[in-house]
Order: sequence, then structure tokens, then C-alpha cells
Amino acid sequence: MTRGSIDLAGISRSYGPTLALAPFTHSFAPGRIHALMGKNGSGKSTLVKVLAGAVAPSAGELRIGGEPVRFASPADAFRAGIVTVHQELSLVPSLSVGENIFLGRLPQRRLLGRNVVDWRRVYQQSETLLHEMGLDIDPRQRLGSLSVGRQQVIEIVKAMSFNPAILLLDEPTSALASREVALLFALLRRLRARGVTMIYITHRMNELFEVADTCTVLRDGHATGTIEMQDATPAGIVEMMFGDVARAVRPPRRVIERDHSVLQVRGLSRGDAFSDVSFDLYRGEILGFAGLLGAGRTEVLRAIFGADKLDAGSIVLDGESVKSADPRGMKRRGLGYTPENRKEVGLVQSLSVHDNLCLANLDRIAQHGVVTRAREAPFVARQIGGLGIKVPNAMLPVASLSGGNQQKIVIGNWLNTQPKVMFFDEPSRGIDVQAKQQVFDIMWRETARGLSAIFVSSELEELLEVADRILVMRHGRIVTEVMPDRVSLAELYRVCIEGA
Amino acid sequence: MSSDEVLVAGVAQARRRRVGATALKIYTMEVILLALVAALVATAPGFATLGNLLNVLRTVSMLGVIAFGMTAVIISGEIDLSVGAGVALAGCIVAWFSGELTPLIGSVAAVTLGVLAAMLVGAACGVFTGKMRQWFRVPTFITTLALFTALRGFANLITGGFPLTDLPDWFSFLGAGNLFGAPFPVFVFLAVFVVMQLLMKFTSFGRAVYAVGGNAEASRLSGIDVFGVKTATLVITGVLTAVTGTMIASQIGSGTGTTATGMELDVIAAVIIGGTSLFGGKGRVWGTLLGVLFLGCISNGMTLLNVEEYWQYVARGAIILGAVLLNQVLEDV
Repeated sequence: MTRGSIDLAGISRSYGPTLALAPFTHSFAPGRIHALMGKNGSGKSTLVKVLAGAVAPSAGELRIGGEPVRFASPADAFRAGIVTVHQELSLVPSLSVGENIFLGRLPQRRLLGRNVVDWRRVYQQSETLLHEMGLDIDPRQRLGSLSVGRQQVIEIVKAMSFNPAILLLDEPTSALASREVALLFALLRRLRARGVTMIYITHRMNELFEVADTCTVLRDGHATGTIEMQDATPAGIVEMMFGDVARAVRPPRRVIERDHSVLQVRGLSRGDAFSDVSFDLYRGEILGFAGLLGAGRTEVLRAIFGADKLDAGSIVLDGESVKSADPRGMKRRGLGYTPENRKEVGLVQSLSVHDNLCLANLDRIAQHGVVTRAREAPFVARQIGGLGIKVPNAMLPVASLSGGNQQKIVIGNWLNTQPKVMFFDEPSRGIDVQAKQQVFDIMWRETARGLSAIFVSSELEELLEVADRILVMRHGRIVTEVMPDRVSLAELYRVCIEGA
Repeated sequence: MSSDEVLVAGVAQARRRRVGATALKIYTMEVILLALVAALVATAPGFATLGNLLNVLRTVSMLGVIAFGMTAVIISGEIDLSVGAGVALAGCIVAWFSGELTPLIGSVAAVTLGVLAAMLVGAACGVFTGKMRQWFRVPTFITTLALFTALRGFANLITGGFPLTDLPDWFSFLGAGNLFGAPFPVFVFLAVFVVMQLLMKFTSFGRAVYAVGGNAEASRLSGIDVFGVKTATLVITGVLTAVTGTMIASQIGSGTGTTATGMELDVIAAVIIGGTSLFGGKGRVWGTLLGVLFLGCISNGMTLLNVEEYWQYVARGAIILGAVLLNQVLEDV
């Protein structure tokens, strides 16, 4: 009996000519927690989708519990005892905990010849489940009244109510605070003790050493190896993840004069998001912000830009003290911000390329409030030409462009305002390598012309490549400052996880 | 080919495919309206007479003036349900000023003050709705639904429940009179059309309306005053409501708390038929002009063809639904 074992023999998956997962042979032993590590696009999501029945492998054989299987849909995988817990919660906040656990399959009873929901059983069974998992949560409570961490735990309890042999966990901790992570890990250990096999995707190195038994690393679609955690070191895993990183050609590093501070920030704090953040941005500098997801980098930038409120702290932009920041006022003072989720809040998808390039700049283009296409045209042409935006006609909807070109439009929209300071929040996310390089070229070129920039990226190699100086944030605080040419990737990674 | 060349080629190809569909998309309403007019000319007795057409124009002008403001409101992602009640209130305010102040300052000054007061009240309703949205996140649907009831109540409080008829003789010109052989409201209607068309197409405000309705958060992060823009569209609509209220009071010769019942739905219907998306971000002032004419022709045509009144309601319902379905289908072409 090998309930919960997963054996892959030469499993691969390609999309057209692109190989997302190279032939992969491996056995995941039952009753253990197996971590999957790798950068975005390394193939780990593809592997999990194959196991969850969401995509069919192009070749190879999959055995679950020793039995060869061929999943046509997630429902097949589910019947084979595999349940997936996704990164996004699939619960209804306005319903009770118990109702969420049994959503779509509430126990029924007969009343006056009709089927009605048997609420007593809903709550009894939920209570039993919650107790088995060692959780002290009232199933009658409204789910939305729980913290995000506890909601995530309920998601797993719900998954466990199906009594699966295998649990796939896709970055379950990405939205959690550290004490909630502890709660989650306690639950995972309990499940392991009951013999459940878990595949655990994470970006957080420290979590590996805390809960995982083994770690499998993927890079560019290839499995670079599997290691028992008792034998592993963070440096070894980073080496497996990144290999030999070839750095792109960049202009020679400039010496940044530290006598001209363009942006002075002192003691910025807001609730749980960040506290006591102080730094200077110097003229012509690219200042990198490193840190794990949820370290507070985006939150700090948004607060300085005035998109979110601040509890405390002072901001001086170009010598002018900012009393209360709002996007409109900060734009007027010469600050620009390209948000991390460009599809949702960086662009107006219903408008054309032309209109999106003028969005932040209507007041400057207009004369006495009057705007014509002709008056806008030079602003549009300057950015399309200057940034190398590939678009046959500026009147096309912006939604028809590739991610890289959309990112350039977000940047161009702001460059049109002739900013003194620009915040680039994850500008390279979800765009191809060539476009990434072009975005970095734009940043180098504009800063050489006197722009000062803050650059947030979750890809540490990029920060090392692009930034002149790097601040590391952890749990909402700046923990240290490093110079890119004096720190290794592994060291930077370690600082992000453990602090200085 | 490099990836960029592939992209460019792909976009160009998609564009060629889209040209035919785009032409159909852009001119659908024009084609339908022409077909309707042709059908009515052929079948409805007396439709194609000058008198009847001018009558249709006078009728549609009343709601059309408001519909242009409503177009901006809906493009900005909001809605205003209070315009029918606003029309009644405006008429009552004008009639009240006329009745109370004419003996003191003469009819011209009294009516002028009344119209200005009505416009001020309309603008204030717009500001109120906008601020409720901004400060307390009350959807405009709710605030204007409340105003829909309350404004009619105020109108009846002013009149005491009876029509106010103390209006000077010349006042009837505004709603019932003719200029150069055409009804005066038609000139107002066309003037508002031109102004709104220019405002929406050639000003930074107009561009901002589309941006705000298309993506409020992206607009905010681009430093656009999102709620300022939304409020401004509501204020414009409030003022235009007062204009229509004045013309209707003039046409019927009194200020009455019960006029223009249900007009808000006709206004919104005209905007939607004209192709403006209720989800915001998309729409045309020109489309609303067509939508207004379309509704007017349908009503007039059905009356001329002796369609029973209750069937007319059913038909209008079907037309509104059909227009939205058509827009959805064309969206996917």
C-alpha cells in the first residue's frame, strides 16, 4: 500500500514550441512535505498543474499511489485523492466557517417531505474537523471576521474535509503575517503526522527549513535537483535556483553625489504595513528596494506618492516639505509612480495607446482646458519613439499590446509629466527578457539625464544589475543598505530572509 | 521574424479583420434609425409631415437636453435617477418665483431669478450626490434614488399640491414657441448637443471622464481628481435638468409636482440605446442624439399606427433590451 505516493516518469509539457517542463522523473515519498522552489517561469506551476489535472502532460507517465493515472480534468485528480489549495482564497467571506467548508454539499435532512439544510450537522461536522486539526475556531463565526491567516487555514480544513491523500499547496503563506504562518505550519505538521503527502510551492527560503522535508528546485523548465532538507543550506539552494547568472551589459556605474538629496523621507509609519522608514534618494540615482513579498516596499512607495494614507513621518521632495501627500499634488511636485499591477491600475484598458500616454498629463497638454489630438500628438510620438513602443497605430486599444509594450506606455505616460523622481514598482514583472532589458535601458538613460528613481523588484538579480544602491526591507522596516558591486546574490537573498 | 515583427503583423491582421466590424459597430445606430424612419414614412399615416416631425423634435428635445448630461454621468461610471423629479421641482421653483416676485420686480426678472434658482438647486443636488459618493461611498444609484423621491416631495411642498399657473404670457415661448419656424426647445437641444460634444471630445475634462469611468484607480494614480470629475458630470446634469424643467413648465403653462414622471428611465434608455456602456468608460454624445431621436420616432410612430398604449410600453421595453444585446454582441465581433 503506497497511498499518497507520487511517481513521475519523464513527465514533460510544452506549449507550442516552448518547453515549459522538460522531461522530469522523480518520486515523491508519501507522508512528507515536499517543497518546490524556482523563479517565476521555472516550470513549477506547470508541474503542479499537471498533478492537479489542470493541464495534461505532453509525454511521460504519472502514478498516484502506485496506480498509473491519466487526468482529463481537475475532477479526475480530485477523485484520485489530490486536492489543491490555491494562492487566492476560494471562500465566501459573508458566510459562516461551517457553511464555507461544506459549500455546495451542505448536509440535508427531510422536513415536511422536503430536503432542507441540516444546520446542526453542518456545524457538528465542521466542529469535529476543526478539532481534529487542533483549531479553536467557532464554525458559526462569519468567515470574513477571521484574519487572512485563519481564512487560509479554513481553506486547508475545507480541502482536508475531502480526506485527500495528497495536498498541493500553492504559496499558501504569501499573504500571511509571521505569526499566522506559525499557525499554518502547525496544521501542516499535523497533516503530515496523519500521512498526507504535501507538495508545497513557496518563494520563502526560511519556510523550507521550517516545514519541508525535501526541496526540489526547477530552473528554466529543468529540474536541477532534489535535496533532503537536513542536508541543505540556503546558499546551496540559491545556487540550484539561479545557476551561473550572466549579468547583462550595463553602463559603467556612476558615482552618485551624496550632496544633492532629491527625496528625503524620515520616520514613515503606517499600521502593520511599515514603520520608521527613513532614507534619502540622491539626484541621478537608481535606488533599489529589495525584500520578500509583503516586506512593505510597495506600501512605502504608495504612501509617499499619496495613494495610501500615512500615520506618521515627513517627506521632503526637491526641497519642498510635503504636508499631506495625494497623487495629484505629488504629480505637480514632480513625482511619478508606475504601479506594480499595470493591467489593473496602471492603464485604462478601454482607451487607446494614445489616450493612455496622455492620461497623467492632460492638464499640461490642455490650453484653457482644451485638448485636441493634434496638441497631444507630439507627447504621444515622443514616447512611442523614445521608448521604442511597438504599435502600428496609436489609436489601437492599449489592451491589444504585449505586456512589455504596455509597461512602456505606463512609463511613457509618466515621463510626459517630466518628473524629477520616478518610482518603478516591479516594472519587469510578466514581460519578456528583451522588453525587460529595454525597460532597464530606459531607466539608465533617464537617470543619466537627471531623473532620480526608486526601483522595486522581487528579482534580486535585477536589483543587482540595475540599481546604484539597494535598501533591504523586512517586515516593514529597512534593515540594511548594500552596494550592488559589494554583495553576492546569495548574501542579498540571505539578508532579505533573515535580516542584516 | 523577431517577436516585435510578429506582434506588428498580428496587430495589423487583427486590424484588417476589425475594419469591417468596426464600420458596422460605429454606424449600427445610424443604419437602424434610417431604417426606422423609412419604415415609418412608408407605413405610418402623417408621419412624414413637417408638423408631425417638428412635434417629434419638440418632444425629444425635452428629454434630450438631459440625456447629453446623463451620457457624461454614465461614461464616468455613475448614474442619476433623480432627473424626472428634478424636472418637476425646477418647474415648480420657476413658477413659484414668477408668482411671488412678479408684482415686486416684474415678470422678466422674476422668471430669470427662478430659472437661476432652479439651476442652482440642480447643481447642488449634483454636488450632494458626488460628495455622498466621495465621503461615505454611497453609490450614486442610492443617493439619486433618494432624491428621486425627495425632490418630488419638495416640488409638491412648494406648490401645495396644486399646479402653479402664475406665469407671464411670454413665458410660453420657451417651451411651446417657435423660432425661424422650428420649436424653440429644438435650438436648446442642438446647442446643448454641440457644447457637450465639444466638452467630451476636446477638453481635458472630457478625456478625464472617459478615463475615470474606464478605470477609476488608474486615473487616481495618474493624478486625476476622480471624484471631482464624477461630481462635475452630475452638476452638469443637474443644471440641464433645470433647463428642461423650465421648458416643460413653459409648455404646459404651470409648475406641477407630477410632471415628467418616469422621465429618468426614458433618458437613461436613450443613452443606452445610443451605445453608451452602463459599466462606464465608453460612449458617445452623438450616439445619445441618435438614441433620443430613435425613441421619439418609435413613440410617435406607434401612436400614429394606433398601437395600444400598453403595447407601446412593452415595445419600448423590448427595444431597450434589444439595443443592449446588440451592443454586447457587437462588442464581441
